[in-house]
Parts: sequence; C-alpha cells; structure tokens
Amino acid sequence: MHRDKKLTKEDTWRPADLRRHIREEGHTDDNVRRRDDSEKKRRGGESVERRRRDPEKESRRERDKPREITRERRDEDEKDRNSDRRKEGSRDRRGDKEKDDREKRMEREKLADGKRHDDDYKRRDGEDKHGREKDKERHRDKEKERERDTEGRSEEDRDKRRDEREKERRREERDREHRTERERRRHEEGGGGERDRMGKHEREKRERHKEEYEGKRSDKERRERHGDRTHLEVKDEREHKEEQRRHKEEREKRHRARGHHDEKRTHDSESREHRGLKGSGEEVRRHRGDSEPAERDKHKERRQREEGEPERNHPRDGTSSKKPASDKSLKRETKTEVSVPDYEEDFEEMDESANEGEDASEPQHPEVGEEREELSAQKRKEIEAIQRAMDEENERVGTAQSRQTPSREEEETPKWSKGSEKNQSRGSQRGKFIDFVAAKQREVSKKVSTKQKKRSTELLRLIDLDFSITVSLLDLPPVNEYEMYIRAFGTENTKQAYVQCNEDNADRDVQTEEIEVCEKWTQHPPEHNGACGDPNLSHEARNQSEMSFDSQRLTAFLRSASQVMVVLLEEDRAERKSLRKLRSQTDTPSFSDGSLQLNTNLSFLYGRRISLVHFSQVQRHTMMSVHRPTTKPSAVRLDSCTIICIWNIWEPSRPQKVLVYESEVQCCCFSPGKAILVFAGTSVGSVVLWDLRERATDHYRLKIGDNEWTFRQPTFSTDAVMAGSSHFSSVTSVEVVPSTAPGGLRPEVPLLASEEESSGLSFQLASLDEMGLLNFWVVVQLPKANEAGSPTDLGLRPGGKVKLLHSSRLLTAERVSLRDAAITGPLQTLLLKFLPTDSNHFFIGTNMGLVNHETSHGLKAPPKFYRFQEAGVRPIDVTSIHFSPFRQHLFLVGCGDGSIRLHEVSHEHPVAQWSSGMAGDPVVSLQWVQTRPTVFCVLDAASTLHIWDLLKSDAEPVVTERMESDRVTAMAVFGDSGQQNTYSGIALAHESGKIEMQYFTRAFTVAVAAEEEKLERMATEAF
Amino acid sequence: MEGSDTYLIRPNHQYKFKPAIVKQCIREIVRERLSGMQYDPEEVPELSRSLAECIKDKVKNAGFDRYKLVVQVVIGEQRGQGVKMSSRSLWDADTDNYAEDVFMNDSLFCLVAVFGSYYY
Repeated sequence: MHRDKKLTKEDTWRPADLRRHIREEGHTDDNVRRRDDSEKKRRGGESVERRRRDPEKESRRERDKPREITRERRDEDEKDRNSDRRKEGSRDRRGDKEKDDREKRMEREKLADGKRHDDDYKRRDGEDKHGREKDKERHRDKEKERERDTEGRSEEDRDKRRDEREKERRREERDREHRTERERRRHEEGGGGERDRMGKHEREKRERHKEEYEGKRSDKERRERHGDRTHLEVKDEREHKEEQRRHKEEREKRHRARGHHDEKRTHDSESREHRGLKGSGEEVRRHRGDSEPAERDKHKERRQREEGEPERNHPRDGTSSKKPASDKSLKRETKTEVSVPDYEEDFEEMDESANEGEDASEPQHPEVGEEREELSAQKRKEIEAIQRAMDEENERVGTAQSRQTPSREEEETPKWSKGSEKNQSRGSQRGKFIDFVAAKQREVSKKVSTKQKKRSTELLRLIDLDFSITVSLLDLPPVNEYEMYIRAFGTENTKQAYVQCNEDNADRDVQTEEIEVCEKWTQHPPEHNGACGDPNLSHEARNQSEMSFDSQRLTAFLRSASQVMVVLLEEDRAERKSLRKLRSQTDTPSFSDGSLQLNTNLSFLYGRRISLVHFSQVQRHTMMSVHRPTTKPSAVRLDSCTIICIWNIWEPSRPQKVLVYESEVQCCCFSPGKAILVFAGTSVGSVVLWDLRERATDHYRLKIGDNEWTFRQPTFSTDAVMAGSSHFSSVTSVEVVPSTAPGGLRPEVPLLASEEESSGLSFQLASLDEMGLLNFWVVVQLPKANEAGSPTDLGLRPGGKVKLLHSSRLLTAERVSLRDAAITGPLQTLLLKFLPTDSNHFFIGTNMGLVNHETSHGLKAPPKFYRFQEAGVRPIDVTSIHFSPFRQHLFLVGCGDGSIRLHEVSHEHPVAQWSSGMAGDPVVSLQWVQTRPTVFCVLDAASTLHIWDLLKSDAEPVVTERMESDRVTAMAVFGDSGQQNTYSGIALAHESGKIEMQYFTRAFTVAVAAEEEKLERMATEAF
Repeated sequence: MEGSDTYLIRPNHQYKFKPAIVKQCIREIVRERLSGMQYDPEEVPELSRSLAECIKDKVKNAGFDRYKLVVQVVIGEQRGQGVKMSSRSLWDADTDNYAEDVFMNDSLFCLVAVFGSYYY
C-alpha cells in the first residue's frame, strides 16, 4: 500500500540511479548466461570475458564522460532533489525508529568523514592510483577470502533483495511502463537542452556513464583506501563517497521517511557495489588483464561494506533496510524497460550480483576456489531448476495479468524462484512480457472494466432499484413484570389464564314493553253506576254474586218464611180490621168489609192521576198502578214521565218497583205466569217492556227524603227502532197472547219457578193501536246480558236481557168500517181481548159500540161481531170487555153510553142488556168478581160503583155506591178465584191519588150454589 | 460475447427466489439444530456461523439460479428483554427478496434472515 503509492511517485525520481541499476543487473544477467556456457571459463576469466565485451562500451562511455560529468552530476542532484521532494510526504510516514537509526548512522559517518572532508578525493585518486592498485593486488587473495565470508553472510540479504526487486520490477512494468518513461524523459529534458535532442538510448548511456564515473571514482577511492589504510579506512572512504551523495541528498533526506533512507542508502551501497564492479571493469580495461584485482576489489569493498554495516546498524536494520532498497533498484530497472538494447547489459549486472550471492554462499563453508568450481556445477543444476520455475512463474504472471501482486505474496514466493525469475526476465520472453503482455493486460482489464461499466449502465436503465420499506425482522416485546415474577418465583411451567365461560348465558332484551290491552266501555247518558265498566270484571263480579245466590234454597226459605209472614200479617190485619170496622162505621161503603190504603204519599207521585190499576193474573197480590204525568211542578224531575208502581198488596207501605217512561202509557199488562215482565203501550205508538229482575244498581237511583228510589227505565222499547213495523198511532191495548194449550190455562195451577222461567219467555205479545193495526211480538230472553249495549238491538237497554221480536201484523179495522164508514166516521179500535180458552180468537172493541170477533189465523169464526140488541150502529165506544172467570164463553161489554151487555161468544146478540141501571154515565171499568160467578162491579165516570149480583137481581145492581168526596178514577177487582177465601176485594184509585183496597163483605166473596147454573140459564133463556 | 446485449433481467419463475421455500429450509435447519439448546455465550458465535453456512448451502441447493445469497443469523439470549430488528435494502423488488424465520425457546431466540439478490 505504502509501497505502491511510493512506487508511483518514485517513478521519476533519480532516473540515473535507476538506469545504473538496470545496467548493473544486465551485466550480472549476462554474466550468469555466460557462466552457464562455461563454468570453468567463468571461474578463471570471468572478468576477462566481461572485459572483452565491456571495453567497447566502456570506451564509448569514457568518451562521453568528460563532457557530461559535471552536468550530469548537477542534473542528478536536481533530479534527486525534485523527486525527493515529491516523495517527502510519503516518506515521513516511515517509522521513527528507522529514522533514528539512520540519523545515528549518518552522524557517525559524518564524524568519520570529517577527517578527509577537506581532501579532494579526485585529487587523491589521481595521486594514489598506482599505489592503491598495487596494494590491492597485494591484498587481493586475502581480501578475496574475506570477501567470500562476508559475501556468504550478505548473500541471503542480497538474494532477498533481488527477489523483491524482481517482483517489484514486474509489478512496476505492469503498472507504469510508459508513464515512468515519459516522466524520466521529461526530467531529463528539463535537466539539459542538449539531451532533448538526444535519443533515449543516448540518455541512458549518459546515465550509465555517470554511474560508471561514480563507480570509477569509488574505485579510486577504494584503491586509495586499500593502498593507504585499513578496512576502516576503506569503509570510511566508502562512507565518504556516500557522504558525497548524501551531501547532494541530505537536504531532502532529512524529510524522508526512514524506509526510504534505508532504501537509498542500501541502494547506494549496492549501486556503489555495482559501480565498483563496473569500476573494476574499467580498471581491467585500464590496467590491461588485471581483471581479478578489480573483482577482488569489488568483493573486498562489498565485504567491507557488509562488515561495516553490521557494525553500524543492527543486523535487523540492515536486512530490513535492504528490502526497500531493492524496491528502488527495481524501479530503476523498470525505467529501462524501453531501452531494450541496454537491457541485457543491465541484467548482466544483476545476474552478476546474483552470482555473487551464489558464490557468496560457498564461503559459508570456508573453502578454496577449487571447491567453488564443484559447487558451481551444483549451482548450474540449481539454476536450471530455477529457470524452469521461472518459466512457470512467467506463465503464471502472463495469465494473471490484471492482478496486482500483493506484497505478501512476494514474500511468500520462494526466494530461489524469485532469483531465477529475475534471471529469466532477461530473456526474450521477458521482453515480450514487458512490452505487450502488460499492455495487453491493461488493455484487457480496461476493456473488462469498460464492459462492466457499460453493462451496468445499460442494466440500470432497465432496472428500477427501489428503496424498499423497512422490514421488521424481529420484534420481541419485553416480558412484563408479572410474567417475570412468575418465571422467577412462581411455579414453573404454569401460567395463569382466564377464560370466560358460560357463554350460552346470553341475555336478550326487548326494548318495547308488551302493550296491555284493557277493554272498557261506557254508556251515555250515565244513568247509573254501570255506565262504564270492564266487561270481564263485571261479568266475573256478577257471576260471583250469582254463585252466592242459591235460588232453590232461597225459595225454600222464602216459602217457609212467607207462611210465617202470612200468619203475622193476618194477625196484623185482624187488628187493623177491628180498627177499620170502627172507622167504617162512619165512612166505609156498604159492601166493604174493611179497607187498606196503599202508601201513595210519595213525593214523586204527588199530583198524579192514576189512569190504570191492574192486577197480575197469576200473582194476585201483585198490582200495578199507572200514574199519569203531572203538570204541577214537583220536587222530582220526572214530571213529564209516566210512573208505574208495582205493588205488593200485602206490603202497602211502599211500591215494590218504580218504572219510568217518558211519554204517556195508554195500557199495560203483566207477563203470564210470574209477574217478572211489564208491558206497556204508549200514546206515541211504541211498545215497551220492563224486566223486573234487573238489579236496582243498574238503574238510575234517586234519593228522596230518607229513602232511595230506583227509577227503572224500560228494558226494551220499540221507539223509533222498528219504525217500519211498529205502530203509527197510540197503542190502545196490549195483551199477552194466552198459551195455546187446548185445555185452557188454569190460572190456579201453580207453576214452578223453572217452568215459569222457561215458559214465561216463550209467549207472544199483541198490541193494538187506534187504527186497527194489530202487531204480534215474540218475547225473547237473551242468554247473556251485554253491559256495553248491543250494537244491533238498539232498542235494548244496556244490560237488558229481554227483547221483542216483531212476528206479524194484522189490520183489523177495515172490514168493520166498510159499511158504516160514511155514517160514523173513521173506525177506532179501542180494546183487545183474547178468548182465554183459544188464543186464536180475539175480540176488539170499537168506537161503534160493536165488538169484533177475529181470529189470528185460520177461518173466520162466526159471529163476526157482537152488537146491541136493537139493530143499527151507534157511535158508542166500547170502553170495557171482561170475560167471566167461571164461564169463559161469557163476557161483559161496557159502553160509553152507560149500557152493559152480557154476550155469549157464539151469538151476535147479547144475552142480556142493561141500559137503565146507569144514569147514562159512561162505563169506565167493568169487572167480574173473582170469587162469585154472578157478581160483577161497574165503575162509571160519575164515580159511582155499581155491584151487580145476577143471582139476586138481573134487572138492577145490588149495591150502588156513589163516592163524591174523592172521585174514583180507576178500579180493579182482586181476589183469587181458585181459593174461596175472604181475601178478595176491589182496589179503588181515587182522584187524589190514593189507592184504597176495599175488602168485600162475606156476601160478595162466598160463592153460592147454583150461581153458574143461573148464568147458564140466563144464556139459554136468551136464545 | 460481443453479440447484441441480451440481459436476463428477470429470473425464470421457477428459479425465482421464493421466500416460502427458503423459510422452510431455515425452519428445518434451525429446528433441528437449536431445539432444546441452551444459550451458551461460548459456543454461540461458532454456532451461528455454522448455521449460516448450513442454511446458505441448503438454499443454494434449492435452485435459485443466479442469486447471490446473504444469510444473517442472530442468536441472542432470552431474558425477557425487548429486541427489535429490522432491515432495509436498496434492491430490485421484482427479483430480489428475503425470507426470515424466528426460532425461540426458553433460553434463546434465533433469527435467520436470508436475502436473495438477483445477479443480472
């Protein structure tokens, strides 16, 4: 590395030295070759041969010499200086130790030189020449031996040096043949103008001459030394010579690195040595045939130097210093590459030195010249081997052209082969090697490199190199503290892990809540607390209440209890009777056995006129009174309403039920059987019914005074809902169609509650209006009440269970009116009665004084109508019709003119007709007494009550009682025809609103035998 | 040699550097050599060298033509420390690639990275 750099710089420094060395080597090479030819000759006349060749050269050199000496010297100095200066930088790098050594040496030399510094050695040369030569000859043998010794010692060094030189040279040849050449030329040209014109060879020759001159000079000096002094002197002399050179170089040397100093020094010594050789050559030439002394001299000198060197330096230094020296000499040789003609000469010298080295090896075993001859034979073999090795080496070099030989390899290569290489390099092969192989190598390497470059540029155009993103090769996160802890202190091979299990325990949420549905209903107007409610709840509540109600047990209880009650009541009545008797003494009518007054002194009944009083056919103690609407204002807001009171005559203190209807009620009736239903026909043409079983809580309740009253609205009404089939005028009569049982309905037959319930609801209702329209209704009980009201049956009250279905309609008035319409005006039908034994037959009282006989279906039955005894039709209203409870084909008809007729169903004419008995006041009401078949009561409009007993008299009433003070507006007979007891009587409704129950006296209640026969007799007698 | 310049810029697909194969190679060798191994600072340098050689030879035999291979083996002791390694390269991503594999046991971790660079 250093060396390389240094070498390149050294290329141009001191070309003279280089050339000298090359020449020397050439000589040695020549020598070797020659010696190859003849070993013997060489031994004997080596110098002679050389001399033979040399003289020509020498003479030539000699010729040039005088002229150029001074100038060359100067040139040399300058060149050296220049080159040295160039090298300074690199040299400084040399180790300090070497420098120190060298300086020490130099100082010593200076001291030694000091003595003869003043002497002009040239002059001395001249003076001592002859003497020195003589001395030299004298000591020649001795010196030769000594020389051999030293040679032997130095031989190795030299060989080494030579090897290195060889190698270096080869390398240099490769590296910078041309450049060095050029540089040198340039320097030479710079040195002198003359030389510019000169050829290369000439220049080199000149250099050689200079060297020769120097060599000569040293020779002279040496000779002088030999002549005059001891080895030391010789050494001094040599040193002096060195000093001379050093004088030239010293300024630069100071700055040089140690290695280079050494190189130079050793080189100097070498060159001196070579010079010495040359010098000896010259001497030979000069002294004719005396070549030996020169050679000996040379040897001697070398030996002296070798001896001197170890003295001055450590042996190590000497060897180490020699190596670089060889570099320099090599370099110099390379410079001669171009100078082919001198080439061989140069290598002669080298060869010679090699030979010398070989020779020197012999003295190691101190022997004489003869022995050396033998050894040289061995050497020759060796040389041959070396040559072969060199051939190989060259081949190898030839192949590995572009390769730079590393310094290490140089050292490793065997010394001998190196030496032989050097020898061989002199041959023609070597010349080729220098000139072309290296060039070719360079060429090739250049080509290769350019090719590589071109390839790379072309490829780079095709290739995209991308700077790939950073790839993370390993990312090992630090272990956290817990795991470290576990690893350090915890149980080994365990690791805590957490697992969430019970995965199926999923939770599901629904955001919207279930909608609670609750059914509610409401009814307007809110007449009672059932106006709104929950169908399910109320139903359950009702069921509960019904569940707690055991009807059979209750009826059983009631029966027993009622008997007790009856007894009690009888006692009570007996007591009251006694009281009445006292009072009746003054006030009671003649027929009365006693009386009972119903408590009608109620605020809502105040001022109302009673239009109708009606007893139930089955429950004889049940009575209803119809109170007309009043015009007087009262405390109760029911003024415009008709009020119907249901009474139990045994409980006169208060009405059992109070029924309310908005308009005027014209007629009414109880349901057959048990009095659970009330039917009414109104002045507005509607048929209404009340279900008395409805609970009081379902109705409008009003608290009046201390008592709370329940005013029941109709359960069902045909108001407006059955406009097509209902009546268009006021309803004059409502009658229950009797059961069609052919045997006739025996009213005294008690009906079981269940039977009543079932049969009671399977009956028909007939209603007749003024226009003669007869409607039949079917009473239907619903299985279940609907609290919220029925959407289809609009006439049904919410919660009601009974309703009317329209069955059929009949127009009854037309036939009658056909004949007499013009005379009497429009016919009015006023009353409706069914034949109790056959419901197919019904009788209608008209305003013509006639009673029509109709059948609901089937053929017309005769007679068509019942009329007065006298012929003709009079406009007299039939106000009342009543069938006899004992002879059911007999019926009484009361008329508006006050006449009374007794008819038999099968005959048109009456059985009897009484007109005179009355004062002409229209009959208001006419009824048979239930307990006696021949007694009947008639109330006329003049408030006169007539009691007829046909058994006693069939011409006039038995009793006529006129009640002026409080006019009687309505009358009803009560009593049970089945039970021949005394509890029969007559209910009288007074104008004031009082209802008075008059019990008949025993004469009117106890039936007499032959009464019915009397009636039969009357009927048969009449026809 | 002096003919028209024909460069083989892309390797034939079957000779292309396939990281998966290389990774398999690495894995086999590393598993075989390192399983159950304890970290020993004395022998790890030699171990890593031999591993690298071994892997290189194996990958060479895998038939990646014209590929220059670089094998990097890093073996370190595992003592809970954090280690981070990354590589960065200037190359032709079309042809060049790398494969890496990490082996770990209780006492050491070993990272092997093989870079294949295509020689055009």
